[in-house]
Amino acid sequence: MTLFLASIGFGLVTASVLAIASVGFTLQFGVTDVLNLAYGAIMILGAFVAYLLNENGISVWFGLLAAMAACSVVSVLLNGVVYTPFQRRGASPTTMVIVSLGMTLIIEFGVEAVAGGVPVSYTMGNGPTFTAGGLTLTGVQLVIMALAVATMAGVHVLLRYTKLGKAMRATAANRNLARNCGIRTGRVIAATWALSGALCGLAGTVFAIDAGSFDATSTDVFLVLILAAVFLGGPGQPYGAMLGALVIGLATEVSAVFIPADYKYVIAFVALLVMLGVRPTGLLGERV
Amino acid sequence: MSADVTLQGLPLRAEGITAGYGGDPVIRGITVRADPGQVVSLVGPNGSGKSTLLKSLVGIVRVSPGTVTVGGNQVTNMAPEEIARAGVGYVPQVDDVFGPLTVRENLEMGGYLLPRGEVAGRIDKVLTVFPRLAGMAGRSAGKLSGGERKMLAMGRVLMLDPGLFLLDEPTANLAPAIAVALLEEHVRGLAASGAAVLIVEQRAKAVLAISDHTYVLGGGEVRMEGTPAELSASPEFIESFLGGRPRPVGSAEG
Amino acid sequence: MNSFYVINLLVYAAVDAMACLGLNQQFGVAGVTNFGFIIFQAAGGYAAAILALPADSANGGFQSYIGGWGLPFPLPWLGAAVAGGLVALPFAFLFGRRLRGDFAAVGLLVTAVLLNLLVTNYRPFLNGDAGLSLIPTPLRGQNMFSTEPLSYEWGFAIGTIILTVCVFAFLRRLTESPYGRSLRAMRDNDVVADSLGKNLLSMRTAMLVTGGAVAGLSGGILVTYITTWSPAAWGYAETVVLFAAVIIGGAGNQWGAILGAALVPVGFEEVTRYIPTSNNLPPNLIPSLEWVAIGVLIIGFLWFRPQGVLPERKRVIAVGAPAGARDTRWRAWAAPAARRATGWQRDATPPLSVPETREVGGDGKRQNASGASPQPVPQPTAGEGERARWDSGSPGSAEPADAVVLEAAGLSREFGGVRAVNDVSFVVRQGTLTGLIGPNGAGKSTLLAMLAGTLPASAGKVLYLGDDVTSLAAFRRARIGLVRTFQLASEFKRLTVMENLVSSVQRNRGDSFFGAMGGRRYWGADERAAVARASALLERFGLTDYANNYAGDLSGGQRRLVEIMRALMAQPRMLLLDEPMAGVHPRLARRIGNELVALCAEGMTILMVEHELAIMDEFCDPVVVMAEGAVLAEGTMQQLRGRQEVVEAYLVG
Repeated sequence: MTLFLASIGFGLVTASVLAIASVGFTLQFGVTDVLNLAYGAIMILGAFVAYLLNENGISVWFGLLAAMAACSVVSVLLNGVVYTPFQRRGASPTTMVIVSLGMTLIIEFGVEAVAGGVPVSYTMGNGPTFTAGGLTLTGVQLVIMALAVATMAGVHVLLRYTKLGKAMRATAANRNLARNCGIRTGRVIAATWALSGALCGLAGTVFAIDAGSFDATSTDVFLVLILAAVFLGGPGQPYGAMLGALVIGLATEVSAVFIPADYKYVIAFVALLVMLGVRPTGLLGERV
Repeated sequence: MSADVTLQGLPLRAEGITAGYGGDPVIRGITVRADPGQVVSLVGPNGSGKSTLLKSLVGIVRVSPGTVTVGGNQVTNMAPEEIARAGVGYVPQVDDVFGPLTVRENLEMGGYLLPRGEVAGRIDKVLTVFPRLAGMAGRSAGKLSGGERKMLAMGRVLMLDPGLFLLDEPTANLAPAIAVALLEEHVRGLAASGAAVLIVEQRAKAVLAISDHTYVLGGGEVRMEGTPAELSASPEFIESFLGGRPRPVGSAEG
Repeated sequence: MNSFYVINLLVYAAVDAMACLGLNQQFGVAGVTNFGFIIFQAAGGYAAAILALPADSANGGFQSYIGGWGLPFPLPWLGAAVAGGLVALPFAFLFGRRLRGDFAAVGLLVTAVLLNLLVTNYRPFLNGDAGLSLIPTPLRGQNMFSTEPLSYEWGFAIGTIILTVCVFAFLRRLTESPYGRSLRAMRDNDVVADSLGKNLLSMRTAMLVTGGAVAGLSGGILVTYITTWSPAAWGYAETVVLFAAVIIGGAGNQWGAILGAALVPVGFEEVTRYIPTSNNLPPNLIPSLEWVAIGVLIIGFLWFRPQGVLPERKRVIAVGAPAGARDTRWRAWAAPAARRATGWQRDATPPLSVPETREVGGDGKRQNASGASPQPVPQPTAGEGERARWDSGSPGSAEPADAVVLEAAGLSREFGGVRAVNDVSFVVRQGTLTGLIGPNGAGKSTLLAMLAGTLPASAGKVLYLGDDVTSLAAFRRARIGLVRTFQLASEFKRLTVMENLVSSVQRNRGDSFFGAMGGRRYWGADERAAVARASALLERFGLTDYANNYAGDLSGGQRRLVEIMRALMAQPRMLLLDEPMAGVHPRLARRIGNELVALCAEGMTILMVEHELAIMDEFCDPVVVMAEGAVLAEGTMQQLRGRQEVVEAYLVG
C-alpha cells in the first residue's frame, strides 16, 4: 500500500511538471498550428540557464526566473525567425516537423556543446519532509506542485478574464476574424509564444529539480510524455492539456508499481499512439 | 436597430479592382461605390467573384491593380486589422464567429478597439438589437443555430459602430422568413442610422427590395448596375443574371 | 592513409548509401514520409545477428537473445532483408489513414523511440541495453578480423559495394517505369492519383516493404561488419540523420541519395578526423557541434534549396506520333469556326473529320488513331466499322443513342444533421453533354463527388451502365470508365505535362511492381502507345510545345486543359467535370466547350458542373438544375430560363 501511495505522490509531482510543460506546448500549437518539437530542447536550455546561475551561487529559485525569461525570448525568436517564414511560404505540416526537428538538434546539442555531456545537478536542499496519510513528500516537491497549481490558475485567469487572453483564444480559433475585429494578431501571437516560452523555461527548471541530475538530452523522453498529455486532452486545448498531464503523470508513476519501472513510460507512448490513431482531436477537443 | 446610434458613415470607392488567389485573377476591373445611408448590393451567380471582391476590400485577398478608399482614405492592400481600425466592419460568409468563445466574449472581441469602460454598455445596446442573444450570453458560439450565429456575427460587427459595413451573404443557410427579417430590419436599419452598407447576396429578389443601388456581377466583371426599379423592369436583368449575353456597364441609365 | 581506413570508409559509405537509397525510394519518390525508417534497418541488423549467432548459451552465455541458429552466409543477410520488409508491413496501415502529416510523423517517431525503449529494457529478447556482440562475420564464422593481409576485408568491402550497386539498379528499374511515374504522381497528389485509378494502398505497401527490405539489408551488412548491434545505434537521431542526408543530397534523385549519404553520415564522420584535437576542449564538443551543424544544414537546405544538391531529374519524353499517323489526327478546329459563323446551332452536328483507322484495337481510342502501334494493348478486338466502341466487355452490341450511362437513384448525403443532397434522382444519357447547375449550396459538387466515389452516399444508389457501383471505390470506378476531374489545381506538379497525361493511362503493363521489374522490354510497347495518344491529344489542344514542361509551371488556363486531357487519357466512358471553366478566360472556356461537344459527338458522355450559365446555354443539353440539395428542373437553358421556379431559385438563392 505504501508503495502505491508513494507512486501517487511521484505521480502528482510528475503531473505537475507535465502540466506546466503541456499547457505551454498546447498554447503554441493552438495559436500557430505548429507542433514545436524543439520544446523539449528549450526546456533543458532553461534548466541550464538556471544551472549557470546556480553555479555562481544564486539560488535555483531565482535561476528559475532567469530561465523563464531566457526561454521566453528564445521561443519568440524561434517562431518569428524560423516557423513563421516557413509557414508564409506554404510549407506543409510534414516540412514543419522536419524544421522543428532541425531546431531541436541545434538547440539541444548547442546546449550540450556549451555545457558538456556530463550530467549535473543543482546545489539545493530538499527542504523538510511532510507526511500525511502514508504519503511522504519533500518541501521541494510540494513547491513544485504549488507552482503547477499557481500556473494553471494564472493561465485560467489570463485566458478567461483578461483582454489579452481572450484575444489569444480568438486568434487561435479564427485568425482572420480576429484581424477583422482590429486585433493585431501578429502581436498576440508573439505574446502567446512569449508566455508559453516562459512556461517552457519554468517547466524545464522544475523538471531538472525533480530529476535530480540532468544533461542536455534528458528531456528527449519527456517530450513524448508532453505529446501524450497534449493529444490526450486535444491539441490546442489548454484545459485538455491540464487534464492530460494529470492522467499521464499519474498513470506512468502508478504503473511502475505493477510493471518493471523501466517500462513505466510505455503507457504514455501507447496512449499517444492510440489517441493519434483513434481520436486525434483529443478527449476534449474539436480542433483539427 | 436602435436609432440613437448616429454613425459617421464612410463612403466606399473601389476602382478597377483586379484580384485573385495567385494565378489567374478571379475578378477584373471592378468598380463599385457605396455612400453613407445607402444599401448597395452585389448580386450574381456563384463563381462571379462576389466574395472575392469583398475579401479584397478588407485586405484578405491581394488587389493588383486597383484602389480602395474608405472615407477618403486609401486602404488598398492594408492589413485587415488596420482596415478594421479605419472603420470598416466585415461579416464573412463562413467562419463568422469565434466558436470556442461564448456569445458575450464574441461581442467583447467585436469591441476590442473600444475603450474599456464602453464595452459593457455597447454590449447591452447590441443585445437590445438582438434580444435572442441576451438569453445565451454565456453559451459557446459553436453551439448556436445558424440563425443565431448570424445574429451574433452581425452583433459582433455592430460593436464598433463602423461607418462602412461589408456583408458577405448574411442570409446564407437561413430560413427564408428569417432571411427577409434580417435584411429588412437589420441591414436596412444600418443604413438608416447613417452607415454605408455593401452587401453581397444570392437572394437577389430579397436584397433588391432593400437596396438603393445594385451591381450584377458575372464571370468576374460587372455586367449591369442600376436601381432596383430599373433592373426589375429591364428584361436583360434576368438574362444577365441567368447567363445571357453580357451588356456593357452603364447602359441602364440611372 | 592506411588500407584499413579505406576499407572502413567504403563499407560505411556503401551501407549508408544503401539505406539512403531505400529512404529516398519511400520519401523522395513515393512521398511516404516514414519517420520510423530506422526501425527497418534495426530489424535487419538484429535479424542478421540472431541468424548468424550461435545459441545464446555460447561464448560463456553472457548474452541472452532469441534465435541463435548459427546460420551460414548468405542466410543472415537474406534474413535481414526479409525481416526489414516484414516489419514494414504493419506500417502500411498507418499511412492509409487521413491523418495530418505532422501528426503521422510524430506517431512514427514515437513508435521508433518506443521500440527502442522496449528492446533496451526487455533483455531476454535481444540482450537489451548491451546489445548483441561477437556476431560472426560472413564466411569466416570467427569474429575476429585479422590485421594482415586484408584480403578478406577488401572482399567484404567490394561485396558490399556490389550489393549497393545492385540495389541502385533495382530501384532505378522500379522508378524509371510507368509504375515509378505512378508513385511520383501519388507523391504529388494522392487524391487525384486515386481518382485516376491508382491503388494507393497497394503502392504504399509495396514501397514500405521495398524500402524496408533495403534498409534491413543495410542493417544486416553493417552488423556483420562491426560485429555488434545495440539500441544506441538506432535512436531517433539516426532517422533524422538519414532524412537530412536525403533532403540535402536531393530527394527524388538516386544519385542525390548517394551524395547525401556521402556528405552527411560519412562526411561528418570523416571531418572529425581532420579537426585538430586539443585537450583544452571538452571531449564532447565536436560531436555536439556536428549535430548542431546537421540541424543548421537541414533548415538551411529546406529554406534555400529544398530540392537538394541534386534535384529530381526531369523525365523528358519525346513527343510525336509515329510517322504515317499525321493524316489521321483530329481536325477539330475547323468545326468550331464554322459553328461560330452560323451562330449557336447546337442541333447541327459538327462536321468533324473522322480518321480512318480510328477503331484499331476496338478499345475506343477515338481521339487519336496513331494506334499505328505494332503491338496494340491487349483488349478485345471489336473489328472495323464499329464507331467509338468502348471496352465495356460486350463487344458486339451497339449502344442505342439514348441509353442511360449513369443514373442517380435517390441519392442523399447527410453530414452533421444537414442534408447537402436530398433524394436526388436523374439519368445521364449516352452521348450527351449534360450540365448541372444551381445556386450556391445547391449540392452540385457533393453530388458529383458521390457519383465519382470520392464521397460516400448516405442513402441511394449510383448506377453505371446498369450496374450498382455505389460501394465501389473511386479508383475502381475510374478503371471501369467513370472518371472525374477536380475543381482546384490538381495536376501532378513535379511531373511534366507529358508525364501527367501518360500516367493516366489505364492499361500499361509497366504500371505495376512486377511489371516494372520486367523492364522496358516488357512495357515499352504499351508506353509508346500511350505516348502516341498523348502526343495527339497535345496536338489537338495545342500544347505540344509544353509537353516537357513541369505541369506546375503552366498558367491556370493551360493547367485546366492538362486536367481535361489527362482525364481523356484514362479512356473514360463517362466524364464527370467539376467546374472545368472556373476562372478561365472566356475565349479559352469557349474552346474547351467546343472540344467537349466534339467528344460527345464521338460517343463520350459528359456530366459537367458549372456556374457560368452562358456556357450551359452554348454547349449543354440537357441541363439539370439543383437547389437546396434537390433536383428542381431539367431541360435546355432556353426552356429553363422561362420556368418560374428556376428563375426564383437563382434570384431567391
